[in-house]
Amino acid sequence: MLEPKAVPIDGMLRINMGPQHPATHGVISFIVETDGEVMRKATADVGFLHRGVEKMAEITSYPGFMPYTDRVDYLASMFANHGYAMAVEKLLGVEVPKKAEWLRVIADELNRIASHLVATGTMAMDLGAFTPFTHWIRERESINDFMEHICGARLTYNYMRVGGVCADWPVGLSEKILVWLDHFEPIIEEFNRLITGNEIFIRRLANVAVIPAELAIDWALSGPNLRASGVPFDLRRSEPYSIYPELQFDVPVGQGTQGTVGDSYDRFWVRILEMRESCRILRQLLAGIPEGDFKAKVARTLKVPAGEVYSKVESARGEIGYFLVADGSDRPVRVKIRTGSFTAVALIEPISPGLMLADLVAVIGSLDIVAPEIDR
Amino acid sequence: MVSTVQTAVGQYLRNISNAVFSTFEGMAVTMSWMFRRPMTIQYPDKIEKPIEETLPDCYRGILEVDTGVCTGCTACMKACPIQCIRIEVGKNAETAERFLQRFDIYVARCMFCGLCSEACPTGAIHHTSHFEIANDKLDNLLLHYVPGEPIPVYKPKKDVEPVRQPKGQPYLAVRALCAHAWRKEDHPDGSAPAGGGPK
Repeated sequence: MLEPKAVPIDGMLRINMGPQHPATHGVISFIVETDGEVMRKATADVGFLHRGVEKMAEITSYPGFMPYTDRVDYLASMFANHGYAMAVEKLLGVEVPKKAEWLRVIADELNRIASHLVATGTMAMDLGAFTPFTHWIRERESINDFMEHICGARLTYNYMRVGGVCADWPVGLSEKILVWLDHFEPIIEEFNRLITGNEIFIRRLANVAVIPAELAIDWALSGPNLRASGVPFDLRRSEPYSIYPELQFDVPVGQGTQGTVGDSYDRFWVRILEMRESCRILRQLLAGIPEGDFKAKVARTLKVPAGEVYSKVESARGEIGYFLVADGSDRPVRVKIRTGSFTAVALIEPISPGLMLADLVAVIGSLDIVAPEIDR
Repeated sequence: MVSTVQTAVGQYLRNISNAVFSTFEGMAVTMSWMFRRPMTIQYPDKIEKPIEETLPDCYRGILEVDTGVCTGCTACMKACPIQCIRIEVGKNAETAERFLQRFDIYVARCMFCGLCSEACPTGAIHHTSHFEIANDKLDNLLLHYVPGEPIPVYKPKKDVEPVRQPKGQPYLAVRALCAHAWRKEDHPDGSAPAGGGPK
C-alpha cells in the first residue's frame, strides 16, 4: 500500500481512483496527481485482492491446487489450469495423450474468445458505450454453456488434470460449437459496424497512451498488449507448447490502423483479430478430434520428484507462467505465478504523464487488467 | 492561407459527418436486434421446465452421497482440498462390520471442484444439478447424509450391480430435514417458516 500524503506535490491535486471504481475492473486503486484535467502521474496501488494463492499451494496436494488456479484469473481460468498442469507434468515426466492435448487447446481457444469478448466489451462500456457490452455478453453466454457441457462449470472450470483433462469430450458438442462459430463470425463483422468503426470511439482511443515496442519489451509486457505494440511475440508460435505447432494461424500485430502503432485502438483491434484467429483454430481442431484416452495414468497421491520447473502458456492476458519447486513430497515447496496483468498495470505509471484524466479508463480497459490476476 | 482555413473547416465538417454516420450505422445494428428473437429468459418465473432438468449431466452442483453404495474408503475426504467433507467410520468389535457414523458435507465451504467425485470408486459421492442454496441460516448448509442410525458400508460384489438412488434424491431427502429451508413446493400455501424466507 502506498503512503497517503496529505499535501500533494507542487500544488497538484491528488485523487484516489478506486478501489471501488467500476472502471478499474476489480479492486485496484489508482493514485492520480492531476493538474486540472491533465494527469501528471497515475500510480497503481495494488494488493486489495491478494488471497495468497501461492501460499495456499504449499499446504495443498498437487492435484488439490488445480481448483485454486481457477481463481487466479476468473475470466480465463483455462490458461491458469493449463500452465499448472504442464508444470507438474514436466516434473513428473508424464506424457499427455494426443486427445487430451486437443481437448485442452479447444478449451483454451474457447476461453480466449470468451475473455476477449469481455475485454473488448468492457472497454467500450468504460468509454460510455453500453450496447456493445450487452452484445458480447450474449455471445459469451453460448461459450459458458459449452463450458458447462465440457467440464460442468461456467466460470471456475477446473478442467485440466495432471496428465490430461477431467472428462471425455461430450457427444455432439463439436457440431454445436461449429454451428455457433458460423453464427459468431458474422457477428464480429456486425460488432465492427456497431462500435469498432464508430468515429467517436476511434477518437477516444487512437493515439492515446502509445506504448512503443521498446518500452513494452523493457517492461516485460506480454500477450495482446505486446503484440499491439508491433512485436510479433506469441508463445503459441514463438515457443510452441501442446499441439500449436500443428495448427495454422496468424499472429495479429498492431499496425496503427487509426493512428500510431501501440495506441489504445491497436490493443482493441488486436483482440478483435485474435478472436477471428481463435475461430480458425477451433475449426481446425473440431474437424477431427483423435481417438484415445483423455487422461494419462497418474498415481492418485502424487509424489513429485525434487526439482524446479518453469512452464508458461499464452493466456488471453499475456504469459501466465508457473515456477514450481518440488522436494519429492506430495506438496509443492514453492509456487510462483507470473501473470500478464501484473506487468500491464505497472506500465500505467510511465505512460500516464500528459494523458487526460478521462483517458485513464481507456488505458485500463485497453490493457485488459483483471484485478485477481494482479494480486493472486 | 485561405486554402489552409478551407482544409481545416473541411476536415472539421468531415469529422462531424463521420461521427454522425458511424453512430447511425451502430444504431442501425441495434435497431435490427429489435426484430430478432431475444436471447434473455425470465428466470425463474418463465422457464418451461425446472432449471435442474436443463443442465448437463456433468454439471457440478451441490454434492450428494448415495450412502447405499458408499464403501467408507474416505478417498473423497482425502481428495478434498478444503476439507468440506467429514466422514466417520465405526467398526463393530464383534462382527468386524464397518458402518458409516457420519457423512457431512459443508456446502457453504464447498467450491464445487469435482475432485471428490472423481476419487470415488463407486460413484457414491457425486454432483447434482441443484444449485440454489440461498439460505437464511448457515447451519442449514451443513448436510448430514447420515441423519440417524449408522449405515453399514457397501461391499462391492462381483457381477452384482448395486442399487442406486436416482440422482438428486438423497440431496432432496436431506434438504427436507432442514427446518428453515424455504421452497415453494415445501410450503404450497405460501407461508414462510419461522426465521425468514421471502415474503
